[in-house]
Order: sequence, then C-alpha cells, then structure tokens
Amino acid sequence: MAVFTRTTKKLILRIDEFFDNVELGVLVFREGIKSYINKDIEAYKRHLQKVDALEGNADKLQRTIENDMITHSILPQNRAEVTTLIDKVDEIIDSIKRSLNEIIIEMPEIPSELNKDFITLAEASANAAEELIPAARAYFKAPYTVREKLLKVYYFESETDKLSLNTKKRIFQEINGLDMAHKAHLRYIVHHIEHISDLAQRAADLLSGMAIKIVM
Amino acid sequence: MILFFLTSGLFLGWSLGANDASNVFGSAVGSKMVSFRKAAIIASIFVILGAVIQGAGGAQTLGKLGAVNAIGGSFTLALAAGVTVYMMTKFSLPVSTTQAIVGAIIGWNLFTGNKTDPGTLSKIVATWISGPLLGAIFAILLFILLARIKKASKVHIIRFESLIKTWLIIVGAFGAYSLGANNIANVMGVFVPAFNLNHLDLGLFTLSSAQQLFLLGGLAIAVGIITYSKKVMETIGTNIVELSPEAAMVVVLAQSLVLFIFSSSGLSDLFVRLGLPSIPMVPVSSSQVIVGCVIGIGLYKGIRNINFRLLGEIALGWLATPVMSGLMTFFSLFFIKNIFGIDVGHKVAEGIRESGLITGAPDSSTSEMIRYILIGIVIISLVTGIVYYIIDRRKQTELRASEEKFWKNMKK
Repeated sequence: MAVFTRTTKKLILRIDEFFDNVELGVLVFREGIKSYINKDIEAYKRHLQKVDALEGNADKLQRTIENDMITHSILPQNRAEVTTLIDKVDEIIDSIKRSLNEIIIEMPEIPSELNKDFITLAEASANAAEELIPAARAYFKAPYTVREKLLKVYYFESETDKLSLNTKKRIFQEINGLDMAHKAHLRYIVHHIEHISDLAQRAADLLSGMAIKIVM
Repeated sequence: MILFFLTSGLFLGWSLGANDASNVFGSAVGSKMVSFRKAAIIASIFVILGAVIQGAGGAQTLGKLGAVNAIGGSFTLALAAGVTVYMMTKFSLPVSTTQAIVGAIIGWNLFTGNKTDPGTLSKIVATWISGPLLGAIFAILLFILLARIKKASKVHIIRFESLIKTWLIIVGAFGAYSLGANNIANVMGVFVPAFNLNHLDLGLFTLSSAQQLFLLGGLAIAVGIITYSKKVMETIGTNIVELSPEAAMVVVLAQSLVLFIFSSSGLSDLFVRLGLPSIPMVPVSSSQVIVGCVIGIGLYKGIRNINFRLLGEIALGWLATPVMSGLMTFFSLFFIKNIFGIDVGHKVAEGIRESGLITGAPDSSTSEMIRYILIGIVIISLVTGIVYYIIDRRKQTELRASEEKFWKNMKK
C-alpha cells in the first residue's frame, strides 16, 4: 500500500511539474518575442536557453509519466487519453522552442510599423496556450470545471486567428517597400506564432471530450 | 473411497471458483486495476476463510430442505448439480450453482420419498428474488454516496483511483470471504450430514467435521480461481466496460454485503434481539446478485441502460436450472442405486430430524490427510511466493537500469 501511495504522490508531482514547465515556457515565449521586437538579442538568447531547458525537462517528465502510468497500471481506463493530452501539451512547448530557434536562425526583419501587431499576436497566441494549463490541471482535480475553463482557450484562439489575418493583410496590402520574399518570410513567422494557439485548441478539443467522459 | 465420493463436490467447488470469483474480482482485473495474480491470491485466501469460519449457516438451511443421509446420495446429487451447471454454461444459459443444488436436493427428496419442507423452500426461493433486489438497492445507495464524496472532496483523480484500487482489493477480499461463507453450502452442504470426521486440532484452533469439509471445498474453489478464472475474469471485465472503476467497486461491495447478510448468523441474531424478523441463512447466487447491482446502477443512470433480455434470461434460469437439476438427480439416483447398488439414502420418518446421520466412530484418517494437505499447501504457497518476489524484483531492477541507460544516452 505504501508503494501505491509513493508512486501516486510522485506521479501527481510529476504531472504538476510538467504543466509548470509548459506554463513557464509560454511566459518565456511571450517575453522572447517582445525582446526580439525590441531588438534585445541578448535577452532573446537567454529566453531561448530557458525554453530549451524547460522543453528538455518537459520531455523527460512526459516519458517518466507515461512509464509510471503503464508500469503501475494507473488510470487504466483513461491512460491513453491522459498520455495523448500530455503529448499534445508537450507539442506546445516543442513548437515554442522551434519557433524561437527559427527566429534566431532566420533573423526576420520586422518593420517597426508591425511591432505592435506582432506583440499583440504573440500575446493572444500565448494566452490561448496559457489558459489551457489550468483547464488541464482541473481535469485531474475538478473535471466538472474543465469545460468552462476551456472557453478562454477557444476565445483567445479565435482572437489569434483574427489578429493573424489582420497582420498578414497589413504585411501584404498596407506596408510599402517590402519585397515579396520579405513579405513571405514575415507571413511564415506569423504562422509560427499562430500555430501555438492552434495546438492549444487541439489539446482543448481532446480535453473537452475527456472531461465529459470522466464526469459521466 | 470416502474421498472419491467427495470428488463431485470438489468438482462443483472448482467450477464455482472458476465462474463466480469473476463476480468478485472480474471488473477489477478486466479493467487492469488489479493484476490477476494479486486477485487470485486474495480471493483464494478469503474464500477459504469465509467457508471455514462462516459457512455453517447456509449448509444448515440446505440440510433442512433435505438431509441427504448417504454418501452415495451426496455424491450423485453434487454430480448432477455440477453437470447441470456445466451443460447450461455450455449452452450459454445463465446458471446458478445455488439453484442447481436446490433442484438436486428436491430431486433426492422425490426419489427417496422424503417430504420437501415448503417453509424452507419458500425461504430459499424468496432470497433468489430478494437477493438481486437488495443488491440493486445497496448499489444505488452506495453509488450516490460515493459520487457525492468524490464531487465534494475534489481529490486528484490519480489519488482517487489509487484509493479505489486499494478499496477494490479490500472489497474484493470481503466479497471473496462472503462468497466462501455463503456459497460453500452449495459445494459441501450436501456432504455435511453424510460425513463424520474427527476434530482436527491445528494448534491455534480446532476444525469440526463440517469445517474440514468446508476447508476442502474452499480449497477446491481456490483451485478453480487459480486455474481457470483468469479468462472468465477478463471477459467479465470487458463485458461490464461501461462501469467506471468506482461503479465496479460499488457493485462488488453491494454484492458482498448481500452475500454476507445471507450468511451471517451474528447479524441474524442481532435482528432477532432488536425485535426484527431473522435473516434466512441461505446460499444465494452471486451472479444474479451482481446482475441486480449492475441493473441498480443502470436504473440510477437512466432506464435505457437496462438490458431487459438479460433479465428475462435470469428469470428463465430461475425455473430451468432447478427443474433440470432435479430431473437429472432423480434419474441419476435411479441408475446409481439400481445398477451399481450403492446406497443413495432413505426415507426419514415424519417429524424426526436426523442430526448425526452417519453413525459409528469418527473418521480420523481423512482428518489426518487434510492436515497433510494443509501443510503441503502452506509450503507450496511459501515457495511460490518467494519465487515470484525474486522474479518481480529482478524485473524492476532491469527496468530501472534500462531507464537510466536511456537518459544517459540522451544526455550524450
């Protein structure tokens, strides 16, 4: 019985730590984008390093959580869904790391007229991912409240879509003096930022179904 | 020779263990909440304890229905009941060992010209209906209580599941104890009046003649659990897949309570002392009680979840099993008596209730044999336990080493 309790405690802590990592990763992403827009490359590199460490730790935790759940036969009926959820949440921090890495490699030149657009877009996209975490935590403690928490994820995802569309419109129709390659490059960065909220929405869809199943 | 006559009862015990243990641990094993090995060990131990400690009540009631007064009769009766159970299972018809044995006793009564006590019979038949009904009521109440506790406590689902897992084991142990206490009468009840064994002194306690028979029956049930219940448990678990782990626990607890109530003489005495009617000590069908419990939860969740066809099949089983078993016993007794010339029992004069039906000196050699069987089982269990422990430790060490190696390589 003591073995059960110890494993359970450790697993709960690991799941919490995993969500902490992703949550911090989202915060760092937001700050990272701001640093890049403000041309503070040193700070950006620090943020990138931090995200790299968080992503590595999240991967390790993800693997340990899956191992623990299988070897100790924890949540046998919901295990597949829980591991898929953790995988989908992990994709968010993976995508954050990938995006920040690509920005530092490609060093896109963002016109100052678009600074605000990019920051707002990154904020909205990060908000969607950020709001997913309390909902995911609630699945484990109060599944009745998951769906109401997910509303914010859907709201910020749709906001991100609107902002992304608007930014792309400005890039291609309003900002003068940019060649097509530059415009295409900026659109590519917009897609990267927007992708984070899309991933949050996909995880939210799964979580919503999981919550109904566990409450029934 | 005496032990040969017991084989039919032991066969019945084996089939009970193979089939009915799944009612106790089926949902836990099927949903992978508890490993089969753990379930089999716990069920085996507690089924034996229940049979030996609390098995007398049900056996006495069956004895009142018909005190089989010859070993040949007991053998034939248990065999006919066992064959009925086997045949009905083969044709996928719902079957209860309890109903088969009651039908067989009535068949014996008819053959030997003994009168079937209508009071006892109606008491037994009433529990066939009240058992599942009581199971349904208990299941609904326990389900509501647990759901409220879960919602109010906001406990982490992994911790909650860990608690449920622990409770599934505790409730399963209680269920196995109740199954042994209540259903041992089906297995060995008909042999009790026909056997007179020496008291067996085991140092800490002494086993009476009936308790030694119950011990053998309990062992047969345990063998049934260990050798054949895995497949049944896994099938039962997947059949009740709509049940969440907590609902599965509620079902097992409700069923165990019903079986316990119908086998606890202490509880019955308490009822009498409180001025309430006594509880009949009757073996009830664990399969039918568990169906009652599942239907109870179905009713609570909404009428659409109920399988009315299954209800119809159970009702059919109530009639078909005792009739088939009774007829088979009647004809088997005819053959055994007239072809093999074995005494299958005789008519008891009206108003006389025989207590020690087999007269003569108590049989001490069988008791000694039981003692050696017990010592053998204890030694085998210890050795098997140590071997499994070593294998488990080795597996865990290998897993840990492979995990450490993986992360070391990842760092590189």
